[in-house]
Amino acid sequence: MSLLKEPDFGTPARPGEATVALNVDGVPVTVPPGTSVLRAAKHAGIDIPKLCATDSMEAFGSCRLCVVEIDGAKGTPASCTTPVSDGMVVRTQTEKVARLRRGVMELYISDHPLDCLTCSANGDCELQDMAGVTGLREVRYGSGVDAGANHLDAPTDSSNPYFDFDASKCIVCSRCVRACDEVQGTLALTIDGRGFDSKVAAGADVPFMDSDCVSCGACVQACPTATLQEKSVVELGMPTRSVITTCAYCGVGCSFKAELRGDELVRMVPYKDGGANEGHSCVKGRFAFGYATHPDRVLEPMIRDSIADEWRAVSWDEAIGFTARRLREIQAEHGPGSIGGITSSRCTNEEVYVVQKMVRAAFGNNNVDTCARVCHSPTGYGLKQTFGTSAGTQDFRSVAEADVIVVIGANPTDGHPVFASRMKRRLREGAALIVIDPRRIDLVRTPHIEAAHHLALAPGTNVAVVNALAHVVVTEGLADTEFVAGRCEGFEEWAAFIAGPEHSPEAVAEITGVSAEELRAAARLYAGARNGAIYYGLGVTEHSQGSTMVMGMANLAMATGNIGRDGVGVNPLRGQNNVQGSCDMGSFPHELPGYRHVSDESVRDIYSQLWGVPIGEEPGLRIPNMFDAALDGSFRALYVQGEDIAQSDPNSRHVHAALAAMDLVVVQDLFLNETAKFAHVLLPGTSFLEKDGTFTNAERRINRVRPVMAARTGKQEWQIVAEIAQAMGYPMHYDSAAQIMDEVALTTPTFAGVSFAHLDEVGSVQWPCNDAAPDGTPIMHVDGFTRGRGRFVQTTYVPTRERSTRRFPLILTTGRILSQYNVGAQTRRTANVAWHPEDVLDLHPHDAEVRGINEGDTVTLSSRVGETSLRAVITDRMPVGVCYTTFHHPVTGANVVTTENSDWATNCPEYKVTAVQVSLAVAPTTRAAAADQVPVAGA
Amino acid sequence: MPDPPHVRLVNDVAAQFQHRPPDEAAESIANHLRSFWDPRMRAALLAHVQAGGPGLDPLAVRAAGLLGTRTG
Amino acid sequence: MNVPTVNPARVFVPRDAAARSVGADEVAERIAAVAALAGREIELVRTGSRGMLWLEPLVEVATPGGRVGYGPVTPEAVDGLVAAGILDGADTGAPTSLGPVEDLPWMRRQQRLTFARVGVVDPRSADDHESYGGNAGLRAALDRSPDQVVEEVVTSGLRGRGGAGFPTGIKWRTVLGAQDELKFVCCNADEGDSGTFADRMLMEGDPFTLIEGMTIAAHAVGATEGAAVEGYVYIRSEYPDAIETMTAAIEAARARGWLGAGILGSALEFDLHVRVGAGAYICGEETSMLESLEGKRGTVRPKPPIPALAGLFGRPTVVNNVLSLAAVPWILANGGAAYARYGMGRSRGTSVFQLGGNIARGGIVETAFGITLRALVEDLGGGTGSGRPVRAIQVGGPLGSYLPVGQLDLPMDYEAFSEAGALLGHGGVVVFDDTVDMSLMARFAMRFCAEESCGKCTPCRVGAVRGVETIDRIRAGEEPTKNLLLLEDLCELMTDGSLCAMGGLTPMPVRSAVKHFAHDFGVTP
Repeated sequence: MSLLKEPDFGTPARPGEATVALNVDGVPVTVPPGTSVLRAAKHAGIDIPKLCATDSMEAFGSCRLCVVEIDGAKGTPASCTTPVSDGMVVRTQTEKVARLRRGVMELYISDHPLDCLTCSANGDCELQDMAGVTGLREVRYGSGVDAGANHLDAPTDSSNPYFDFDASKCIVCSRCVRACDEVQGTLALTIDGRGFDSKVAAGADVPFMDSDCVSCGACVQACPTATLQEKSVVELGMPTRSVITTCAYCGVGCSFKAELRGDELVRMVPYKDGGANEGHSCVKGRFAFGYATHPDRVLEPMIRDSIADEWRAVSWDEAIGFTARRLREIQAEHGPGSIGGITSSRCTNEEVYVVQKMVRAAFGNNNVDTCARVCHSPTGYGLKQTFGTSAGTQDFRSVAEADVIVVIGANPTDGHPVFASRMKRRLREGAALIVIDPRRIDLVRTPHIEAAHHLALAPGTNVAVVNALAHVVVTEGLADTEFVAGRCEGFEEWAAFIAGPEHSPEAVAEITGVSAEELRAAARLYAGARNGAIYYGLGVTEHSQGSTMVMGMANLAMATGNIGRDGVGVNPLRGQNNVQGSCDMGSFPHELPGYRHVSDESVRDIYSQLWGVPIGEEPGLRIPNMFDAALDGSFRALYVQGEDIAQSDPNSRHVHAALAAMDLVVVQDLFLNETAKFAHVLLPGTSFLEKDGTFTNAERRINRVRPVMAARTGKQEWQIVAEIAQAMGYPMHYDSAAQIMDEVALTTPTFAGVSFAHLDEVGSVQWPCNDAAPDGTPIMHVDGFTRGRGRFVQTTYVPTRERSTRRFPLILTTGRILSQYNVGAQTRRTANVAWHPEDVLDLHPHDAEVRGINEGDTVTLSSRVGETSLRAVITDRMPVGVCYTTFHHPVTGANVVTTENSDWATNCPEYKVTAVQVSLAVAPTTRAAAADQVPVAGA
Repeated sequence: MPDPPHVRLVNDVAAQFQHRPPDEAAESIANHLRSFWDPRMRAALLAHVQAGGPGLDPLAVRAAGLLGTRTG
Repeated sequence: MNVPTVNPARVFVPRDAAARSVGADEVAERIAAVAALAGREIELVRTGSRGMLWLEPLVEVATPGGRVGYGPVTPEAVDGLVAAGILDGADTGAPTSLGPVEDLPWMRRQQRLTFARVGVVDPRSADDHESYGGNAGLRAALDRSPDQVVEEVVTSGLRGRGGAGFPTGIKWRTVLGAQDELKFVCCNADEGDSGTFADRMLMEGDPFTLIEGMTIAAHAVGATEGAAVEGYVYIRSEYPDAIETMTAAIEAARARGWLGAGILGSALEFDLHVRVGAGAYICGEETSMLESLEGKRGTVRPKPPIPALAGLFGRPTVVNNVLSLAAVPWILANGGAAYARYGMGRSRGTSVFQLGGNIARGGIVETAFGITLRALVEDLGGGTGSGRPVRAIQVGGPLGSYLPVGQLDLPMDYEAFSEAGALLGHGGVVVFDDTVDMSLMARFAMRFCAEESCGKCTPCRVGAVRGVETIDRIRAGEEPTKNLLLLEDLCELMTDGSLCAMGGLTPMPVRSAVKHFAHDFGVTP
């Protein structure tokens, strides 16, 4: 339920042409075959009363409110479960059905509290609406105890931090249960008991928090009454206004309605018309927005001369003036290339664009990089080399057409939960699943889903595995020769290379730890699919051969013809909300917006003419290079937009030393994060609720981010950047964020058709969006590849230099968990900590036993670069010899142990492979001393 | 004493091209460095080579030679 | 009296659960013991029940002149009876000495087509099945194409014996026409209606006939024409004897090549599995049964889609009652037209009526449709067991109407019953004498619905509970007129608004009780 009501057609749309003509209450309407009478009536503009039906799930036929009369048919069928037929004549308003509907409502209300006026759903309750619509005037049975048996004493389950389950208000329509089954795919809820005793139960009738519930909110969304209600609505009351905007967590980019009372955000409700999520959500986007008003937010600019000094709150003018002056001073002393900036994948396209523009135009160098460096830079490199552009090939909807789904180094149910729900729906429909991951991620075996193959490879052997798969395709004659001949280049040489015996499954079985039979079977399954789709995550990119692996997957997809239509493709699951966008906006030191190399004079000309300054033709420093250069003294000042490099980048000791060596570190962030400990300027940022701009999600979908409330800092982030540039003497001014996007469109061919006005009109578009594709491009490379012909690249497997030794016999790999997000700056400041109060180390029982480690023990985790301690969780989800942790909590310091190893092509850190030792901690560590408290201004 | 960054990074690149004919490999490596490396890193590499190039992959040395001729 | 000696004596004692409940096992044991003691060699055959429940345990002995019966026999009486020569079929002169069983009026009144072998054969003996004419229907079916088998069943006029009365042949035609690589034949043996026991008695007395009927169905829906067909018998857990007997018979059939690949040397492949219910009445409703077979909670599915097109696991599925499937072998063996010669109107063939409640002679009566209710209750049943006047008869299970004595001359016919606001259902006939309080019976109907509702649809889930409460108010004299009006509105809602027949039919007994016995509700009609 929500304030701004999108039309509900009662049952899902059916595909196909509208060919069935019927007549509803005298109104002719034509709909596709299989459409319900209920939905057809809605298309005819006729609302049939309903309670158990909603168009996000299949018809259920339980409430019996939607009964109608159909000429020539017996009785009064439920319109939700009755499909249309040609020539059907339906009457939705007869005396008979009116009587039945009133009778149904009379029964409902006889077992429902009559406290509408004080009910949290008052005004937003479908039961209340239906009582009105059906003209219920009297409950002759009496109500509650007067009627007899009732559920008015049923207890309320308040265990979930975000919503209550008030069983006394439940009408047992099963919408919550079905939402959990069909929409989310977790199957945590059920109906317990029979008949009048039927009740919604979580798991085996346990509190929601003790069940498998993942708190995605689908049940709350589906509930037609106050039974499942956000605690915030219970506490604050109904919101009074609604703003459609985009979630700022992962790269799925869900659309939400932010619902407010005045300036107070009451709840976030997933938006049905959102292209990425179509009305679904996860625990982060749906509920974890409390950080935006957390007392830790820094709202005033602060400066200090030395990091040994206390912070000093200053005016915006002083902060901006100080920053500009120091930057120019450092350049004057150490040269133009001695300063640089990092853009944030958490910020809007417009905010990112101005930072890279500031670096290139005001700083006068190309020392700009983005946090995608440490996550998906290999995607940029690999897909550009093979397909011609750095982007996933599909829209999310495409997965519904896939027959074989390959998930490589990604954990969608935790990392990209809303997309995972789409994927799980397709898998429940029968698509086959291949998981390539050292860990047994949830997707391998989850209700009604079991992977056909789980290739539990040794960390660091991705390329060997993908080469073996390709080897099978080529040597067993499974390649799509027609596609390859018509669309690609370099196939023959590549095929000769990959057919080499060193790539055979038998040859690599030992190093990968995956049996040859399993590799062959997986390859045959993928190659034999009508539509085979690859989805991957940081388990592909964050390796010394991350870029090679991306190209290996591209090779495999091209060789099997799995590119250029629905249901196929190579798809990065982007970690952050705007990774795609920040890369698109020219954040890499070698690329101007739209992935155009700085060496391309014609592209430089566009910008130098518009910006009035020359653009450097040489690439600038990447983030790790900046750290190295800081330590050798040639790089002295860094502007960091919304990234906590001190926590998230590998080999923390090295990063901290580099930051400490700089003359000026400027941090633009919501919080005094770990990096701020090394900063001289803190420029308070805005949360997504305050921003005006756009995010681009993993499917290249440009979504609007609308200001839900005024900037609590008094300044939009793009204004700060423009004012610093101005203060440095470079004229930069925009009246609005829309103007920035207009400049992007003007200078970037793939964005030529994008404007805020266009987005506001159509909702969202997927780039390329220009004259050739005015409505955007859901599927890429349909007729030809961006670079013309798809290019096969030879991908030799080169083992990482990081390998287990006697001193460090285990391999550590890292990932994330559903309830927490990245470095946790946001989610740690919400009730999501209820699910993940600390990072833990997952360890195989064998590895634990030989070390005398028991569940819950505090252990020391050490690598050749550092050590940290955390609690052990013993699980056979891990293979022997591999352990796993997350990096959501700074106290864990997971990156204290990760190394300087990186992807050869892009320097993306090798987070996924670190040789470590784990031992029982001798004494409890002083975790409290390192507690997750950061000093606030003046403290 | 660990290798300086430019040595470690160029060796990582060179490792990827071991299976190619040396001339082609060197050219590919040099192209990569031109496309993605900040000039100061290339300069550091060249300086390292001129100082005898300890710790460098032979292909990296060859690639550095190509850089030198192009960038003068 | 001279009785020729048969050696060894063949003695038949039912193993039917109803017979066992009154001591059949003890009687059988005692007969064996006494015969052994007397040095008399006997062959003791455990059969099903003939269906004359007031005579159980009914012991039969083979004589050259046919099987003669003794019943009811108590274990204590066995010694005396053996001494009196029953192992040679002697007439003991006592009332329990029944003479030739086939000549009993109860048996002579019947046309036993489906139940021909029940009570006669050893239900676990495949040999018996063959030697008593079994598999003739299956052989006849295998000589025909699926189309021809379906048409034979259509011609027979056989309608679903589970209660709905839908033409079986038409249902099979739909499944045959549905294109799929996998289809199912499911037998609904979740016989939950009070006063019904024919499914159980058939499964316990002649399981091979059911297997044969299902095998014919598998052939008829395309098992030899490209579709794999699997069979399930869904038996309620309250029928442990039936489960055991069916399971044993299926194993025996497999061993004989009557199930599995190449059945009777044909191209037909079909196998059959027993699945046991978990005590929910609603699983007798076909879509709930399918949910339960899929391993889910037994709740009703909306129709469409009909199971014939999308049934078990979404595949085309025949769902038939035990009696419907067990009627099929006779139809194929003797021809649809022969079957259709029995009956009246659109109710063709025979039906198996089950007489129970307050009745002098309860049991199974298989006879052509058209027999009157009076003939069943008075002639065959002998009136009430209490000897008091009959006041009401409930036909068709707990969801059937209560009929007053004024309607005793109704013929047993789907359409005649429908016109009278009643239903034949599964053929249960439950008799009440004049001490019955019909408002309590109406209350019982609502209570039954409340107990057995799956809880999915509102009219049934909430309505049945409110129905009980409203009847309680009427019985307590609280505004009876107003509450009877409310009850009638509720009955309309449940009839027209419920998702399935459970809620939809509950108003039948309620409304009929109010209509015919208004006085019991404190109002004058």
